[in-house]
Amino acid sequence: MFDGLLMLGGGLAHFFTPVSLFNIAWATLLGIVIGALPGLTATMGVALLVTLTYKMAPDQAILCLMCLYCGAIYGGSRTAILLSIPGTPASAATTLDGHPLALQGKAGTAMGLATTSSALGTIVGIIALALIAPLLAEAALQFGTYEFFWLALFGVLISGQLTAIDDPLKGYIAGILGLLVAMVGMETLHAHQRFTFGISSLGGGVDLIPAMVGAFGFAEILGVMKRTAQARIISSGDRVIPRFSEVFQYKWTTIRSGLIGTFVGIVPGVGEDVGAWASYAAAKRVSKEKHMFGKGSQEGLIAAETGNSAVIPGAMIPTLTLALPGSAAAAVLIAAMFIHGIRPGPLLMTENPEFLYQIVAILLFSTIAMLIFGLTLTRPLLTVLQVPRERLMAVVYVLCVVGSFAITQRMFDVYVMVGFGIIGFILREMKYPMAPLVLGIILGDLLDLNLRRGLLLTNGDPSPFFTRPISAVICVIIILTILMSIPAVSTRVRSIFTRGRGDASAQG
Amino acid sequence: MTTDTPAPSETAPEPGMIKADLLAGLFFILLGLAVFYGAWTMDRLEVRRIHPMTVPGLVPGMLAIALTLCGTILSFRSLRTPASGGWQQLSGAVLSSAAARAATVMLLALIYTLGLVGTLPFWAATGLFVFAFIMVFECWLSEPRKPWRKSLLWASGLAVVTATVVTLVFERAFLVRLP
Repeated sequence: MFDGLLMLGGGLAHFFTPVSLFNIAWATLLGIVIGALPGLTATMGVALLVTLTYKMAPDQAILCLMCLYCGAIYGGSRTAILLSIPGTPASAATTLDGHPLALQGKAGTAMGLATTSSALGTIVGIIALALIAPLLAEAALQFGTYEFFWLALFGVLISGQLTAIDDPLKGYIAGILGLLVAMVGMETLHAHQRFTFGISSLGGGVDLIPAMVGAFGFAEILGVMKRTAQARIISSGDRVIPRFSEVFQYKWTTIRSGLIGTFVGIVPGVGEDVGAWASYAAAKRVSKEKHMFGKGSQEGLIAAETGNSAVIPGAMIPTLTLALPGSAAAAVLIAAMFIHGIRPGPLLMTENPEFLYQIVAILLFSTIAMLIFGLTLTRPLLTVLQVPRERLMAVVYVLCVVGSFAITQRMFDVYVMVGFGIIGFILREMKYPMAPLVLGIILGDLLDLNLRRGLLLTNGDPSPFFTRPISAVICVIIILTILMSIPAVSTRVRSIFTRGRGDASAQG
Repeated sequence: MTTDTPAPSETAPEPGMIKADLLAGLFFILLGLAVFYGAWTMDRLEVRRIHPMTVPGLVPGMLAIALTLCGTILSFRSLRTPASGGWQQLSGAVLSSAAARAATVMLLALIYTLGLVGTLPFWAATGLFVFAFIMVFECWLSEPRKPWRKSLLWASGLAVVTATVVTLVFERAFLVRLP
């Protein structure tokens, strides 16, 4: 505990330098702008910034990427409130109450509350990150090949289940497609080339960064340009800095939403949007002002914004301790960490324990920057929202091309970006979520290697996958997850519970 | 995950989407079978005497079976769900002006990426792309159309600035040899 505090102090001191503070300022501000611009998402921003931070020192590069990530998730709320369009999908729930508040002439109050809620949500998540991550990292040291196989499978499945709430089947298909993409190239157990069709560029497999830039950058450009309707900005001159009582009044909503957001963040591949929706639904269920939700409820706005921001530190927990990305942007962060020679995973706390606390410090600094920029730069951010998308998207596509090209300097990666962009756009139009696809690409190798390595260790006997305690637990969870996604099974299970409750109340 | 989860809704899927699911389901069945064939016929490295349970085609084969199964469920579900006027709605969506806008972006992007980059110097290709993109979407495909003189000015200015800044930043600051 004391060691942890000392390392946290060390982390804070490490970044308390003019260069780091400058990087925190510009990266958070850039993140807010990216988040505020409809069509530019946090994942896209982080993926594009990886190229620009390529030559930086590892700690400064991760600092910039994390600050941009935090800023972008917050920045989306501005567009949600003023334009009724979520700047990033994470702010979709914010739109429900944020925009009605703006229509009532309380745009300033809404923006102020969104800012403080985002900051408080991040802080709840940061506390959880600092407390849970070291414990999970220690527990993860017990995980072997068998457990990592199940974890990888669980990550893809749960991401598929939760990111496609209406239709888990499409989530699973997206996950399987991602895993199949990961099968391309040289496998690591026997160094055999799979599905390369004689193309030498495919030998190393499909790189994550160009794939992400395509799926989240180019696909988003196509989606934005498809629409014709332009939204009107609603703004007002009321005060932006909220009163203490306004924030304190909903303290339980803030804490609950922060915890829900953190938990959602911990679940692999389930990100800020689900965190916001889950927090919003929970707040609505227990609120005394249920009727106000969707009509300009401050509580609803607070729940959504706290929920989505708490996901960021929550997502860093599995990302750092298990190398399982907690969100799509965290998947890019893992790729960036590998580029910079940082290896996330169970050994991180042994090899590089300061790094975890540096991440905590980065999140704290970025929260402060977000709070300052969010409460002061109201007018300049309003100007950003007026940039016509026809002009913006042309420049963004150029950045997608250069961003995919720059890391390995080969045109093949640009073609990968274009391919993933077009396929990603078609899949999105048909309501397939992108998150499981990305998670599949990043976890495919882990799943394949650990399954076959496990079978090699046991000379082909699969029983340890089912008999080792942790493996058995994860296996049972996976089976239950799949079963519960079958409508007939879930309806029957629900009816059993309802009947049980009905009988109990009848007896009572 | 960030970014793309559809908002939870309780509305029934549109007839067009149900038919699109049928086509997608059939495509996934075909893809699954093709991958399974590839995995089954993949070298089992018997020469190197590896354990038969660790062959490189094991996981791709399992994934192919899972994809085929999911594709089959998707297709059956689509066939069992009533969707009157689904094909008309689907063809309407494919031929809509929104789809035409997306297709135009794809076309411009493909011309730039596959045709211009590598043929022309990077700065020239980028300038041309930005100029064409803005002009097409502001003066031709926007509603209402914007005055072409103003757009021409913006498109030229932005094309020059983007081409110069991107080329300079990446070539001079990041030492990337642009295509």
